[in-house]
Amino acid sequence: MSLSNSYKRLLLAITMMVALSACQSTPTTLYQQVGEQAGLERLVDAFIKQIGQDEVVFPYFKQTNVSHFRAGFITHMCDVLDGPCTYEGDNMVQIHTGMKINEHDFNHTVDLLIAAMNEVRLSHSLQNKILARLAPLRAQIIKI
Amino acid sequence: MPRYTLKKRVGMILSLSVLSCVSIALKAKTLTIVDQFGNPVEHAVVELLQSTAQQPVTKTPAIMDQVQKQFAPKLLTIVKGQQVSFPNSDDIRHHVYSFSPAKPFELKLYAGTPKAPITFEQPGVVVLGCNIHDSMVGYIYIAQSSAHFVSDEQGNVTLPDTTTSYWLWHPEQAQEIIERTEHDWPAGHSNSKVEIKLTKPEPRNTFGEMFKEHHGN
Repeated sequence: MSLSNSYKRLLLAITMMVALSACQSTPTTLYQQVGEQAGLERLVDAFIKQIGQDEVVFPYFKQTNVSHFRAGFITHMCDVLDGPCTYEGDNMVQIHTGMKINEHDFNHTVDLLIAAMNEVRLSHSLQNKILARLAPLRAQIIKI
Repeated sequence: MPRYTLKKRVGMILSLSVLSCVSIALKAKTLTIVDQFGNPVEHAVVELLQSTAQQPVTKTPAIMDQVQKQFAPKLLTIVKGQQVSFPNSDDIRHHVYSFSPAKPFELKLYAGTPKAPITFEQPGVVVLGCNIHDSMVGYIYIAQSSAHFVSDEQGNVTLPDTTTSYWLWHPEQAQEIIERTEHDWPAGHSNSKVEIKLTKPEPRNTFGEMFKEHHGN
């Protein structure tokens, strides 16, 4: 009887341990997969370089304050990718109203972001997850 | 014939008296502002120090617009107590700010959403920027009275004959941006030349500046 009891307790302990370790290995956030703050900074810096050297998108950004854009984009990405940030800047509609961005220029900018993600060596599956998070914002950015 | 002569003489007298009137009205001093290389300086502000005239403040707000990601005008001169509105003629948003002691403020300007004008009570200099577009720089000079003048392309300002001393200021001056230098008018002269040391503006924190080599300018 007692042996059977100890066995049960041992089993319970093992189950709990497994459950706990499962807790610890909860699927990481996209923010963590990107490499948290440092990883986001690398990504956004690569994106800034892509924009700065691109003839199509550069005119939109020529007069833009680089530090303001960098800080805002990092925080926004951190928020969208479930990181510990709350983006409190202007929303996507406020930012893009009046820019009248067409399909071509929008898609081209997405290509620049993909190029930046390649540059900082994010896996393609992670890139797809990030793009899936950003995709719903398209309607708030384009043709307004 | 004699009547004609009389008419001619009356006409001459009349035109002479008109001319003398004009010359009295035009009696003024000319100040020429040059930089450290002797080149004429446009957009220098000259404010008379001895003027104590208290004019009623203009009710209509002055306008500092935003056009194609630039302040328009780049330099606005007003009198203390006057209001300035910031209409934003661009389709896109701007975020105008001032850190200047004479009037710190910030104004988020979304297209088609006008904001109430701002009153500038303190005389001095306000430097304007835009948080979003760092290429945008503007200046508001708030004078004590309406006795202030802006130099033309030749660096000249016409001042009243009574001028004895004045302040000089320029948006690109080498010294502190909010400082105005005091000068005395040289006694007995109707023309005077004054030098102001200018400096090249700091590069802006923009994509345009950061990637200018890539785009060949």
